[in-house]
This record gives sequence, structure tokens and C-alpha cells, in this order.
Amino acid sequence: MWAGTRAGGPSVSLNQFSLSRHASESLSTSLREATSGTGRCAIRGWAMAAGLVGALANPTAGQSPVACVKCHANATFLDGPSAVLYVTDSMVAESQHRGLACASCHPGFDQGFPHRAQATARPCQSCHPAAGEAWAQSTHAANGTGDTPTCVSCHTAHSVYSPTDRRSPTHPLNVAELCGSCHADEDIVGTYFAGPEREQAREAVAQYHATVHGAALTRAGLLVSATCNDCHQAHLVLPADSPASSVHRDNIAGTCGGCHLGVLETFEASAHGAALRAKLATVNHRQAPVCVDCHTSHQLVRADDPEWFLGSSQKCGTCHEELWETYLETYHGKVTNLGFGLTAKCSDCHTPHDMRPASDPASSVFPTNLVSTCAKCHEGANQNFIKFYSHGDHTQRTRYPALFWSWLGMTVLLGSVFVFFGIHTLMWLIRLGLDRVRGPWRPDGEAATDAGAETT
Amino acid sequence: MTRALSASHRGPGPYLRRFSTLERTLHAFVIVSFFGLVITGIPLHFSSTPWARVLVRAIGGFQVAGTLHRFCAILTFGYFFVHLGSLAVHFVRAPDRTRILWGPDSMVPQPKDIRDIIAMFKWFVGRGPKPRFDRFSYMEKFDYWAVFWGVAIIGGSGLLLWFPEFFSRFLPGWAFNVATIVHGDEALLALGFIFTIHFFNVHLRPEKFPIDVVIFTGSATAQYMEEEHPLEHQRWLAEGRLQELEVPPPSKVLYAWSLALGFLSLALGIALIVLVIWSLLR
Repeated sequence: MWAGTRAGGPSVSLNQFSLSRHASESLSTSLREATSGTGRCAIRGWAMAAGLVGALANPTAGQSPVACVKCHANATFLDGPSAVLYVTDSMVAESQHRGLACASCHPGFDQGFPHRAQATARPCQSCHPAAGEAWAQSTHAANGTGDTPTCVSCHTAHSVYSPTDRRSPTHPLNVAELCGSCHADEDIVGTYFAGPEREQAREAVAQYHATVHGAALTRAGLLVSATCNDCHQAHLVLPADSPASSVHRDNIAGTCGGCHLGVLETFEASAHGAALRAKLATVNHRQAPVCVDCHTSHQLVRADDPEWFLGSSQKCGTCHEELWETYLETYHGKVTNLGFGLTAKCSDCHTPHDMRPASDPASSVFPTNLVSTCAKCHEGANQNFIKFYSHGDHTQRTRYPALFWSWLGMTVLLGSVFVFFGIHTLMWLIRLGLDRVRGPWRPDGEAATDAGAETT
Repeated sequence: MTRALSASHRGPGPYLRRFSTLERTLHAFVIVSFFGLVITGIPLHFSSTPWARVLVRAIGGFQVAGTLHRFCAILTFGYFFVHLGSLAVHFVRAPDRTRILWGPDSMVPQPKDIRDIIAMFKWFVGRGPKPRFDRFSYMEKFDYWAVFWGVAIIGGSGLLLWFPEFFSRFLPGWAFNVATIVHGDEALLALGFIFTIHFFNVHLRPEKFPIDVVIFTGSATAQYMEEEHPLEHQRWLAEGRLQELEVPPPSKVLYAWSLALGFLSLALGIALIVLVIWSLLR
């Protein structure tokens, strides 16, 4: 790709993305390790660092006492192993960083040759303090061996474009592939993730493409759809169990709500939203669900997909066990349980986000709202109709006497029929068995010896 | 001497007519519609078992199953009312009309049935002879009235669940909860009874094993009548009706089809009852 860059000059933009992908394996080493030459690909790191010097050759690229491009844009001079140090002036000239001198990022390198300066750690931060600080606190920076991504891994070293620029690896349409260059890589994921998380991490990008977010972005080309950094942040990337993470349980509603504001407002007013707030003040309180508990994060299925309905309804049942069990006793629940999405699911009666206790007048299952709730499916539902027990429990005699007594009546009926005829059948079999052994019954009560004769 | 597969074919002739063509046809409808109802309904009752999901998908989904279930319900109501109609016609036309209401060949339980039950248990414990049955034993009467009861209870509750919006004009919503319990449990009783007790009493008990197709062919040998319904056979003798009731032996084709339908039903019923028992025990 360097050759392409070299030959193509201004057309470099097309290669920038793949360049950054390739570089991301080792570019974590970009500046720090490059100086010691111990990085996995120190030379390439040097190339990225040194390449900025090319900007100096361009009159519009800033003022520098030394024309860096004299050497660094000379393809003939930088041949062989040194080719990685090749940087053209146009790379920087077309980038967001046009106008910056090479030495802005490579201080001291403009003081003649051979270079005596040491590469500066995190030179980007001098202009981008917030992003730099966020990155420094991220799991990318914290993660051990130094080959984790730095600024240039995602933004590239010289052809730095705005994320709104289609050519940028950080453009929404490119982000999944950018992140996937590491997170879909067996070796890299294997290095940084262990246990069940490893599988999860390796699948994350592929799963994303199958989600409604991924499909909207990659198939429908919809820029407003969420990509990796919309949920995980661009710079402050942290694992979900870190309290500062945008995908931590306490923050996830706000993160999703960044786009789904209407849902967030509804959710916060719901019983779950209230319980979630209460949880923060209460120890040992059972955790109220947040967005990802029902929608999951990387298996996001469209909410009108039957498969999703089944999964999400079952999830309700993990906390609302009794309601789930009694729901399964109804036709609604039985059809759901068989794996079909047509009959009423939890969210059909309780709404998907605005679930409230039945005592709340704003609840879809508040007595005066029931007729309209049932009528969504049952046209003509009336005051009688809503006396249906959606969660009736036949074991509760005082609360559901009709169910208890009909259940008991049926049980007694079944029991007595099967007990009577069970005994009847069993005794019949025993009788015939004994007949075979001892001979059939005779009027005088003596067992005959002609076993096997027919009884009449 | 080879033993005939069907108990109704055992022993020397002549063959005597036991069931009319209408009765045989209606019973065939009972079998077909009952299996249809059981197969399309049972996945709902055992919705949390893995086999229920497989079965309902094999049928073509719960909506197809529901449509077939309702179709079989219509068949059931159909044979039920045809039978009632035939009883009414018989009652109006037949000179001995009261005999369907009371007497030795009536389906209505008689004092003799109570005595037969007691005698049967005495025979079980070796304290008396096996009771001699007339046209219908108390077991057959139980089967018959179970269908009456079942069609009323299961059919009625099924209609409620079929048209909840309509019935909620007169009934409180919890009637549908009750209907769900009653419908499912009564159906469980019906299939549990038919696939075990009825199968044993009619086909599988050693005297008749493995099958009795008299309900399909309509006729049985004199020996069969003497063993299973001796009092009726003797009445026929006394009334001099044997010649009138004598029919040619069932054709080979009819007999083959009867055995096929009978064994298929036995196999299907036993397979279903195994699934049910497994599901109830797990």
C-alpha cells in the first residue's frame, strides 16, 4: 500500500483506510516504541511519525527551516527498507492538519540531520487535550503491552481527516471495519480477552453487522444509525463493568437515549426507570432492566421480529417469575411458548417502555384503560371482556375462586375416572393371568385344571 | 387353525350384523375428527415440551393448527347432530321406539349395569362368574356417554374460546380462563381414557388382543357374540331374528381397510399417550 501511496500521490485517500487497518496492528507503538526500535514494527512506526515531515515541503504546509520532504518525499532516496519513511506533502496538505508544520507533531526533528531529537509522547494531545485525556483513561491506553491503538491507529498519521469526511477511517461508514480490524482478529482478541468474553468480543463486530443498527448503516447507508463509537465512545473506550463506561448499566439508558430520546423519556417515567433510580440508593435491590437487558447489545433484532418478542418476553419472566408462569397458562402464553409471535406478549399489554403498575392511572393496564388495551387485538372488547385474568393462578383459592374450583373439579373428575378404570383394567389383567395359571373360574369355586379354556 | 386378527372374526360363522352403516360411518368420523383435534390441540396443552414445538411446526404453525382444530370441531358437531337426528328419526318411525330409551338394548344405564359392575369386580377376585352382557356392556355405555359429555363440555368451552368477543357480551372475562382449564383437562381426560382404557377394553385385553374391528365391518361371528354379548345373542335366538341379522362375511377389502384404520389408530393413540405420560412425569 505504501507503493500505491507513493505512486498515487493525491489519490492516497483511497488507500488510507486500508493503510490504517494494516498499521493498527503495530501502530500502537508509533511514537514511543519507534524511538527504541523494539516495537513489533518499529520501522513502520517511524514511517508514520516521520512522514509528517513531508508537509514541510509544501509551501502551504507551514514554515519550517528544513525542507523535510527533501528526503522524506524522495522515493528514489528512500528505497528498500527505508521506504516506510516516505511521506508526500499532499498527504498532509489534503488532511485536516494542512497548515501544520512537521515539527508541530515531531518537535526537534527540524533541527537538521541526523535527527538528534527524541520522539515526543502523545504529541496529538497538545492540540487535542480532551480526546487525549479520554484516550489515556480508556482501556485502549491502559491495556498492557503497548501495541494497543493510539491516535494514529484510527486517525492515521498524516492523512488525518475529519470523521465527517468519507475518506476518514473514523467516518461512520468505516468505523465498524476500523474497529473490526482488531476486534475481529483472532490473535488480537485472543491476547486481550479471556474466558467467555473472548468469544463475545470476537463475535461483536460480525454480530453488529447483523443488528438493526449495522444493517441500517451498512445496507441502508443510514448515517444516523449507531456504529461502534456511538455506544462505546471514540476515545473513552471502557469495558461495560467499568462505572465510567458509556455502556455500563448505570449509563446505558443515557447512551441509547442519545439517539432514542423519545424512548428514554418514556422509559425514565416508567416503573423500570423509577426502579433503576431507586436502585442507586438501595443496596441489594434487584436490578431494574436497562435497554440492553431486553434488546441485548450486539444481537439487536428488529422489535417487530417474532424471535425478538419471544426472547424479550422470556426476559420479563426472569424477574417477574410468577407473572410469567401464570401467563404461560393462558392461550396467549401457550402460543408464545410454542414460538409464535402473534398472540399477546408482555409488551403488547404493558407497552414496551412505558410499563407501570396497574395502580397507576397512566398505566396501560389501569382498570379504565384495559378496554382500549385489549381492543388493540380484540375488536369489540368490553367491560366483561376485561375481567379476563391474564395472569390468573388456579392455585390461589381466595383470589381466583372460579379458577381454583374448576381446576379442582376437573382434577377430581380425571382422578376418579382414571383411578376407577385403572383398577378395573389392572384387576382384569390379573384375573386373566391367574386364569392361565390356575384355570378359569368354575361355579363350584374349585379351580379347574384345563387352563386356557375360555370363560363365558 | 389360524386365529383371526380381529376378535370379531374368530370362530365359525355365521356373521351377524351388530352395527348399522350409519353407526359405522359416524364412528369413523369420530376417530378422524378426534385424532385431528388431539394432534392440533395437544401442542398447546403441552406447550413447554420440545415435542409440542416440533409437532406444531410439522402441522404448519399454530395458525394452521388452529384452523384444522376448528375444522375438526365442526366435524365433531356434525356427527354429533347427525347422530341426534338419527335418534329422533328412529324415535318417530320405529315401532319399538321406546327401546332406545329403556331396555336391554338401550344405551341408557340400567339397573343391570350396576349389577354387572359389581359382578365384574367379584369375578376379578374369583368370587363369581364373569357377568353376561347384553347389547352394550357398561364399559361401552360409558364410552358412549363420555362422547356426549365430552362434546358438550369440550365443544361448549371451545366455542367460548373461539369467539371470546361475542361471548363476552354475556359472560365475564374469567369465563375464558375457566374454559381454558375445562377444555384442556377434559380433552386430556378424553384422550387419556380413549388411548388407554378404551383401547384395553375393546382391543388389547387378552380375550380380544390385538384388535376388534366390528365397529368398522359392522358384523361379527356368532362365537364373538356369544363371548362378548351373550344375552343379546340369546335374545336374537329367542326372538328368531338370527336369519334376519345374518350377513355375508365382510369382504377382504373392507376387512383389510378396517384392520389398517384400526391398527393405525391404535399406534397413533399409543404414541400420543406415551408423549403425554412422558410430559406429565418429567
